[in-house]
Amino acid sequence: MKCIGVVRMAGLAILLCCLATNARAQPRIAALSWEMVEHLLKLGITPVAVADAPDYRSWVVHPALPPGVPNAGTRTEPNLELLAQLRPELILITPLLEDIRDKLERIAPVVSYDDFTQDQDNLLMQRENFLALAQRVGRTPQAHQQLAAMDDSIARMRERLIQHFGAQLPDTTVIRFASPTVVYINGPNSMPQHAMQLLGLQPAYDAPVSRWGNIQTSVTVLGNIDDGAVLYIEPFAQGERLFATQLWQAMPFVRSRRFAGMRSTWTHGGVFCVEYLAAAITDALLTLPPRH
Amino acid sequence: METSITRAIAWAPLRSGQRRYALTLLLLPALVLGHLSLGAELSPAQLWSLLSVSSSNSFAAMEFELTVLPRMVMAVLVGAATGLSGSVLQQLTQNRLVSPMTLGASSGAWLGLICATLWFPLFAVRHGEWAALGGALASVGLVLMVAGRDGIAGLPVILAGMALNLLLGALAMAILLLNNQQTRGLFVWGAGDLGQIDWQWVAWLWPKLLVGLLLVALAPRALTLMQLGSAGAQARGMTLWPVIVALFLVSIWLTSVSITAVGLIGFIGLITPNMARLFGARTSRDELVYSALLGVMLLLVTDGLALLINRWVPQLIPSGATVALIGAPVLIWLSRRQLSAEDQRALALPSGAQRMTRRSWWLVLLAAAGVLMISLCLNRGADGWTLGWPSPLIWSLRWPRVLTAATAGCGLAVAGMLLQRLLRNPLASPDILGLTAGASLAVMLALMLFGSSLFWIVAPFAALVGSLVVLGGLLVLGRRHQYSPAIMVLVGISLAALSNTLVQLGLANGSGDALALLGWLSGSTYRVTAIQATWLSGGVVVLIGLSLLFQRALTLMSIGDSVAMSRGLDVPVMRVTLLLLVSLLCALVTSLLGPVAFLGLLAPHMAAMLGARCVRVQLLLSALLGAVLMLLSDWIGRTLIFPLQIPVGLVASVVCGSYFVYLLVRQRLA
Repeated sequence: MKCIGVVRMAGLAILLCCLATNARAQPRIAALSWEMVEHLLKLGITPVAVADAPDYRSWVVHPALPPGVPNAGTRTEPNLELLAQLRPELILITPLLEDIRDKLERIAPVVSYDDFTQDQDNLLMQRENFLALAQRVGRTPQAHQQLAAMDDSIARMRERLIQHFGAQLPDTTVIRFASPTVVYINGPNSMPQHAMQLLGLQPAYDAPVSRWGNIQTSVTVLGNIDDGAVLYIEPFAQGERLFATQLWQAMPFVRSRRFAGMRSTWTHGGVFCVEYLAAAITDALLTLPPRH
Repeated sequence: METSITRAIAWAPLRSGQRRYALTLLLLPALVLGHLSLGAELSPAQLWSLLSVSSSNSFAAMEFELTVLPRMVMAVLVGAATGLSGSVLQQLTQNRLVSPMTLGASSGAWLGLICATLWFPLFAVRHGEWAALGGALASVGLVLMVAGRDGIAGLPVILAGMALNLLLGALAMAILLLNNQQTRGLFVWGAGDLGQIDWQWVAWLWPKLLVGLLLVALAPRALTLMQLGSAGAQARGMTLWPVIVALFLVSIWLTSVSITAVGLIGFIGLITPNMARLFGARTSRDELVYSALLGVMLLLVTDGLALLINRWVPQLIPSGATVALIGAPVLIWLSRRQLSAEDQRALALPSGAQRMTRRSWWLVLLAAAGVLMISLCLNRGADGWTLGWPSPLIWSLRWPRVLTAATAGCGLAVAGMLLQRLLRNPLASPDILGLTAGASLAVMLALMLFGSSLFWIVAPFAALVGSLVVLGGLLVLGRRHQYSPAIMVLVGISLAALSNTLVQLGLANGSGDALALLGWLSGSTYRVTAIQATWLSGGVVVLIGLSLLFQRALTLMSIGDSVAMSRGLDVPVMRVTLLLLVSLLCALVTSLLGPVAFLGLLAPHMAAMLGARCVRVQLLLSALLGAVLMLLSDWIGRTLIFPLQIPVGLVASVVCGSYFVYLLVRQRLA
């Protein structure tokens, strides 16, 4: 009887111990912007709450957010009362929420990481954000390991591209359709373009610099892309409507069969979204015939 | 000799008409050519060479053939259809302010399409026009029912349309806010884009507009007869109702199919018939045809402007934006010329009790206390519904929002009540008169100029400047027109449309700033700090206290200016002072909360219906009711779709707007 009691006590102690180490291993962090969710997950930390969690699951997808993580409201207006009830130890924000910092600080310490801007290299900025976060939670070795793995993986993708196309890779532009007449073109400092740079691809369209890295413009502008490939980010519900038109069929890149869809990938994420983008771009480009 | 003179007199109007048509038809090819060369980004000479060497199979030639030309044809078709539709509606109702936009058809069509796109996407892609038509018919039907037979020719129908536009706009905003990722494409469409990629939409649209030709051929007789008045028309052997219904249906059909094809392009249907009359169109057919022609020209010019701007700006500027930029000022200018006649008729609301009984006081106070308790103690959290006093941390997060909502409600209610008494217009309120629209317009301009980083610092000043400018404009225009409600409402409509356009423009770009802007525009208390909440409530209390000092002046002025003057009141000074008070209240609330519709309109009415007839009682009771309504809206916004939140202003607009429309309908059916 006593013996069982002791065993029970020991079991309980072990359990508590596990919980304690687990708690130390898993700091309670709330992420109010999606880049930070990505970074946390890559560091092996499951956030206690994520702003716009359902949208993250359907739009960002990778890295996958475990199903139990609660939604903390929207990214522009996270639910403060819910956050307070969840008792996080740390809250991660971007400058978008800087104006409610003092409210958030009543709940838990707040760290703000830079957001996309026009003036700085957005990829470099996200890389630094990731390393700073890793340092904060004491997982710097793991962070470097992840970054090295990403660099390796992108280098392998580049080799596959060179194998397929030869040394002269096709100039590429990544777009997203808003409607059959309006298109977003990803330009300098956008994550797709950074992914292209890492793969050694040149842009096929000379888009102006902008804050979020993409411009919204008329579909006909794409006709200026004489030489090069165009990849569109899926899904595009009205694709049939546009792709059947005479004008579309006359686009130089359609005629030379240098047009393909790439699987849905988030374009404004953290540092690792570049890897997912690079993978999607590579897979899409490999469906094009090797010419030259 | 004599016969030649009479003949000359008989021909004179026709001659001037011929000259007008000749000039117009000369100008039209020039506009078409200008539009084409802007669209193709070529000079007219290069355009000519491109056209003459039509055999060339270059991409440029194909682009011209498949995008530039159909865009021009689309502008012509849509311009003609909306001009014609506006002219039919104006002649039918004999009301110069009626148009698809002011009757609520456009916003109804938009809401119909948004709902269809979200919930029946396949149906929307194939038969979007039926969703648009359904929405347009429903909202116009409601407007006509509210305005009643006597109201159609006057201001009531415009006021009802304005109210419905505000309500449907708030509903559309709420839906978009809740589904912002899926509806991005709708933003572009909502801003009215004429861009084409082939002839498909043109081919779709033109057969549906053929009915317009029938209209030009058959409608003039009926419309002319109707100008004699219904009795006169019936005396000539015309059965009125089937004709009226048929004409209404056709003109709303023209609007709905145009909206389905290119999105929201406002103003043209309102302006062109007025311009046609200004340029001398006298007969019914003349006005129909000339309005259609003017519609074509106006849309060609404004779309050309959009094309021109798009050359310099990398981001896409939709055509609907430039139409509103030109249309809103033209509308105000036209109304200044044409609207001297005073139309004091307005919509009737149920009148309610004559005196405030002790029982109704108790009921109101009990309800207020109940709503306050619910708002503070009954909430949703991580573990579902909880009942109890909030913890200190939660309390510190919650009280600034609750206080802001309540005092903003007080402020708006008092502002509305002051305006209704001052202008002797039961439908005057900050939102209907465009004060809130002016404030939000200024805030949006400030956002575009200074960027989002300074947004929360710049916004209050911009809001104050905006509402002061609108009020100043109203005072100047109002003095010239004896404070005619029509002119005030028109300014409200124009400003609301302008600010709506800017929102669409911001949203079409789909950036993060746009979402923050959307939050502010829908009246969110989310970012209010404790200090701001304290300042707001202090300011509102002081201003309400001040307005209580003026109760004698208000009582006298709501009877009539002459009565007030005979009692020794300096009416002009008093009016300016009180209006200044109103705009201060509006600016204070709007800068912190964003625009909130209907509350300032509804709370004073509810107070009056409960029996608060004298100024002091009505003022205090409206303030209390305003606070209660906002508390309730705040609570609904916080709990309905937890953990997401709906901004309190949006909830208040939808709740109060629905109740307001319900009151109007009930009064009509009684």
